[in-house]
Amino acid sequence: MSLLAEHVLLRHRDVPHIRDINVYTNHGGYDALRKALSDMRPEEVTDVVKAAGLRGRGGAGFPAGVKWSFIPAGVKPVYIVVNADESEPGTFKDREIIEANPHQMIEGIALCAYAVGAQAAYVYGRGEFKGPFVGLQQALDDAYEKGFLGRNILNSDFSFDIYTHLGAGAYICGEETALLESLEGKLGQPRNRPPFPAQVGLYNKPTVVNNVETLTNVPPIVLHGAQWYRQFGTDKSPGTKIFCLSGHVARPGNYELPLGAPLRHLIEECGGGVPGGRALKAILPAGASAPILPGPGWGTGDILDLSLDYESVQAAGSMLGSASFIVMDETVDMVWAASKMAHFFKHESCGKCSPCREGTYWVEDVYHRLRDGSGRPGDVDLLLNIADQMDGNCFCLLGEFSVCPVRSSIQHFRDEYEALVKG
Amino acid sequence: MTVTLTIDGRQATVPKGTLIVEAAKQVGIEIPVFCYHPKLEPVGMCRMCLVTVGTPLVNRATGQSQLDADGLPIIRWFPKPQTACTMSVSEGMVVITDSQEVAADRKAILEFLLTSHPLDCPVCDKGGECPLQDLTYRHGPGVSRFDYDSKHHSAKRYPLGDLIVLDRERCILCARCTRFQSEIAQDPVLAIENRGRDARIVSYSNPVFDSHYSGNTTDICPVGALTSRDFRFHARAWELTNIPSLCNHCGVGCNTVLSTRRGQIARIMPRQNETVNEVWICDKGRFGHHFNSSPYRLTMPLIRRDGELVEASWDDALQHVASRLTSIIEAHGSDSIGGIAGACLPNEDLYLFQKFLREVIGTHNVDHRVGLSATFEDDTVYAVGVGTGTDLGRVGRDTAFLVIGSDLDQEAPILYLRVAGAARHGATLITAGGRPTKLDKQSNHSLRYRYGTATHLLLGMIHVILEANLTGNETVPHRVNGLNELRANVADWAPERVAEITGVPPDEIRAAARAFGEAKNGIVLYGPEGLGWGNGTQGTSWEAGSPLRQAVANLVTLTGFIGRPNNGVIAVLPHANSRGAADLGVVPDRLPGYVPAERPGLNAQEMLGGGVRALLVAGADPLAGVTLADELEFLVVQELFLTQTAQQADVILPAAALAERDGTFTNLERWVQRFDPGLPVPGQARPDWTIIRQLAVLLGADWAYATVGGVLAEMAQAIPLYRGMSYEQLSQPVSLSRRMSHYIYAGMSFQAEMREGMQWPALAEDGSAKLELDWLDPPAPPAEGDGFTLVAPRVLYDGGTLLGQAEILGTRLVQPHIALSSADAAALGVLDGQGLQVSANGQSISLPARVDGLVPQGVVAIPRNLKGAPAESLLGEGRIFSRVKVVKG
Ligand SMILES: Cc1cc2nc3c(=O)[nH]c(=O)nc-3n(C[C@H](O)[C@H](O)[C@H](O)COP(=O)(O)O)c2cc1C
Ligand code: SF4
Ligand code: SF4
Ligand code: FES
Repeated sequence: MSLLAEHVLLRHRDVPHIRDINVYTNHGGYDALRKALSDMRPEEVTDVVKAAGLRGRGGAGFPAGVKWSFIPAGVKPVYIVVNADESEPGTFKDREIIEANPHQMIEGIALCAYAVGAQAAYVYGRGEFKGPFVGLQQALDDAYEKGFLGRNILNSDFSFDIYTHLGAGAYICGEETALLESLEGKLGQPRNRPPFPAQVGLYNKPTVVNNVETLTNVPPIVLHGAQWYRQFGTDKSPGTKIFCLSGHVARPGNYELPLGAPLRHLIEECGGGVPGGRALKAILPAGASAPILPGPGWGTGDILDLSLDYESVQAAGSMLGSASFIVMDETVDMVWAASKMAHFFKHESCGKCSPCREGTYWVEDVYHRLRDGSGRPGDVDLLLNIADQMDGNCFCLLGEFSVCPVRSSIQHFRDEYEALVKG
Repeated sequence: MTVTLTIDGRQATVPKGTLIVEAAKQVGIEIPVFCYHPKLEPVGMCRMCLVTVGTPLVNRATGQSQLDADGLPIIRWFPKPQTACTMSVSEGMVVITDSQEVAADRKAILEFLLTSHPLDCPVCDKGGECPLQDLTYRHGPGVSRFDYDSKHHSAKRYPLGDLIVLDRERCILCARCTRFQSEIAQDPVLAIENRGRDARIVSYSNPVFDSHYSGNTTDICPVGALTSRDFRFHARAWELTNIPSLCNHCGVGCNTVLSTRRGQIARIMPRQNETVNEVWICDKGRFGHHFNSSPYRLTMPLIRRDGELVEASWDDALQHVASRLTSIIEAHGSDSIGGIAGACLPNEDLYLFQKFLREVIGTHNVDHRVGLSATFEDDTVYAVGVGTGTDLGRVGRDTAFLVIGSDLDQEAPILYLRVAGAARHGATLITAGGRPTKLDKQSNHSLRYRYGTATHLLLGMIHVILEANLTGNETVPHRVNGLNELRANVADWAPERVAEITGVPPDEIRAAARAFGEAKNGIVLYGPEGLGWGNGTQGTSWEAGSPLRQAVANLVTLTGFIGRPNNGVIAVLPHANSRGAADLGVVPDRLPGYVPAERPGLNAQEMLGGGVRALLVAGADPLAGVTLADELEFLVVQELFLTQTAQQADVILPAAALAERDGTFTNLERWVQRFDPGLPVPGQARPDWTIIRQLAVLLGADWAYATVGGVLAEMAQAIPLYRGMSYEQLSQPVSLSRRMSHYIYAGMSFQAEMREGMQWPALAEDGSAKLELDWLDPPAPPAEGDGFTLVAPRVLYDGGTLLGQAEILGTRLVQPHIALSSADAAALGVLDGQGLQVSANGQSISLPARVDGLVPQGVVAIPRNLKGAPAESLLGEGRIFSRVKVVKG
């Protein structure tokens, strides 16, 4: 069923109990770290990650090796921040890594630290990750005990610590600069960029911010090399990716596939298709934060032929983002679905900038009246106009993304809206 | 380094790093803003300032702009509009602010802001001077498409502190208030809590909104969300008459606007003066004015008849004074008369006061050193005061400050803001004191000496500076005498020895001295807690302070930190016109302009102790808690209130307050500044100078002064320091371009003129003047041993005559207490609030203990000038320290 002979990231599905440090080390665990510390200079680690073409799995898809190379030489300390905020609706991949294959992430963090000369890393988890972080702390303790973390790692002169921190449960704290503020104990609101965290990050020091999944890719890359890694995926989107599949499919869950796999494979082979023979109406490829893609009967062409890589999804008018695919069948009321997302953004807007703070509030208000039967003529255009007034004017991408479900649901399902407006 | 860019087709050349919003201002283009404030770090939150920005496409290989077919640079436009308040200009940048797109964005942002705004302009205090209102008129939509019924509701009257009320519906969450508190006031007591539409401003400090600067947030709030409790719902902005005035609560001399309505002060706001107070004032200045309208003001002359004070006409009262003075002079001579004037009086009044005593009566028995002034007066600044043109608001990296023995946040709040701001901009800050103060949080070197050893510390620093050859090469060789003698004298004061006396570790002394000596510019601010101990019951700290003043003068002189802007000394004197009182010879041993008197008269203590038979007191309360000396036959008091001194007077003459008259003050940095009258005088009260003039005339002098300006004209003639000062010059509004160059808030208070004062030059600025490095032995260090050191620091909200009448500050007034460290409290077995008995010099008093983390062990502190004068009753007025016994009880 799978397009992969073996999982690269979700290795626990092939090797039971790999969360146990002994099982992990018996299956090649920490060999990459050993290899880097004994045979590679730090730049070489960055170079192999660059050559592998690993792109950030937190949403933006920025090449990880390039980001590491932005860390200025000579400014100390350097920090690593691991983004485990995982708050995008429909995203649950980082959690599985942390719970089931934590050492691969820890090893990835240590490799990144060696590459950029960091002394400390902070794993920032969403507030609800209290449970998973108990297991993570155990894994960290084990790694310390075995000498993979702490002073003089594997008897080298490389010393490095990992700390964990739980947020208080705010979506915006997944945005890297808001995360840094929150980690510093401040109100979770994004910072102005530039300067970027690589220059001025945590406590104003150079900081690499990477997603959990991104860093989990690093040990196999270092161990097996860029060529090996590039056997998966496409030229511009190399590697494997965990796809979070939810909604109207028979088998929701995480599926690791090479980038560029067809959407059909994900939904039909992995997910078992839309249950009850109902038609696929729409797909959210990146949770709430990207335009909705209409199903075969609602859009042009067959969406199931879409290739799941960054470029193709963008060409289809949406974004791959964190690859959280929410599938909606023909029974779904699209105004309802959009209003749910409007509510999400209103609830999660940090309030720093006026277009997002007020716009998301206003958008939700219009949805309220559409849904409780008091929609007015012009409301649909009003929604589009509010979206136009927000677009390009918000401080950060949360506000910018918040208009995606509004616009795309109107674009593809306008008749459902018009039906709610009293003529 | 400058950068040239184009904004709406206009070329602007501005320094590198300038923000687009500021560059636009310089070519007359106003980009609307809410969250941006020129004094605060930009945040880009409100999105009001969005503009279209492009930069020239540069050929990487050549570094040259790429040109299109017409030979014009190809511009690459940012895909999204950019915030002009956060983006810095770059060479060749093109900015568009007048397009339809930009207009649409502005309209959009305003529409968004107004969706949750209560639109209660008709009852809002900001109405008429509100940036939100003004920008909505200019750029906003005429109607709202948002359902009024769906508006988000929140608290309309949330007391953010006891002085400031927050209307959470009006707040647009621009974070100006929170940023002011953390960046400028350095009191991070406001924060945003929660998120999205539920985000709101809160204060969790105890007491809430605990800051000396809270009122400034109401000025910079761009909507009517923050209002001061006393102005809220009291007047509309357009009904106010706005008068340029000055603050009379401390020596900083903040420029203010009196906004009056129907003969009352409706509010006091800062008036921008970048060299004095920028755009800030402290809460004492803002809320302390309520004394003006107190029902307890004196409104009629009073004469004591048969033991009772009864109302009298001015003629009768003044005649009575004149004839009594005449007969006392005839019987006992001129030196049986004396006068004490407070350093709150304007220059013209002080000048005439001393002139009256010296020329009309014929005595040098004149002084101002009572109350807070009793400990501390300064003549150092005459020679080595900060150079004219000094602007603490603009100094940065190359300047070092040494603040010694002063708690600026309490003694001179706006000076605190400016010194802390300079440190934020990179200046080196050295704080030295017997206890840590708020400024220590900002300092690079924080030195903690044993009280009474500040002079020793300075000698140690001088030792290091001479040893490291950090003397000023440009001035010292040509202009300074006595370097070799000084070198020989400080040879004994190596840091190791100084450390033993002061308790400051030698390496800290070395590091601080080097940091100071190596700077390009150096400024020393010294305050009362650096002074010596006084000797016995007679000596004042002021006298004991001479070695400290000499050491301060030597330090700046030998480092060459003299005679130039941003170099020299500032004495942190207590009152609005303490500087003027020193300048104008309101002391028995000096004539105006620091000219020694040939035959010094009696000082205040001597006069009060029975040295005179008749005493004139103007604007001072020297007899609080003191009984009249038997020798004193006749006491005349000019006052606003029936003070304890006035209650013992034979004649009371009601005086006009600052807001009711005009005049000039000289501030700590020697800026002579003018204030205008804004209120009618209550009853028959008169300005002090006219009372003095009248008396002089009755005593036969041909004094013809008709106006305050006339008095100043004579001072400008008679006193070289004040040469060139004129009343007209002092009321010259600053030029329009300077006003334009920093608009801060658009409030109507700007109808009051912005003015700049005139600064008299310190002696060192005269390049031909020779400077002496004199030597004074440091005072003997205080004996160690049993007991505690009692120190009497100055506090902002003390029990002064005027402040006590401002009820709004009632909860902030410091109540008498004894502060001590937690270790000492534990050793004495006393808890916060329990009684402690302090005894010294045969006196003892009991007060509640207050455990204070900032008081070092072995020290107890009782603030000066509190109700009942507990500190003074132990120390005598003139002293700041003593050894005391402390027991529970
Ligand atoms: C509103 C918002 C929420 C985000 N939430 C997350 C998140 O939960 N987890 C995450 O890894 N990245 C999140 N990101 C992306 C991060 O800002 C950042 O790009 C990422 O952590 C970088 O790591 P990567 O390069 O490894 O993807 C979010 C971005 C935005 C704008
Ligand atoms: S767009 Fe603005 S309000 Fe929305 S989350 Fe970002 S900064 Fe906060
Ligand atoms: S209270 Fe005023 S200054 Fe503070 S955030 Fe609200 S609008 Fe801005
Ligand atoms: S003024 Fe620029 S974003 Fe507020």
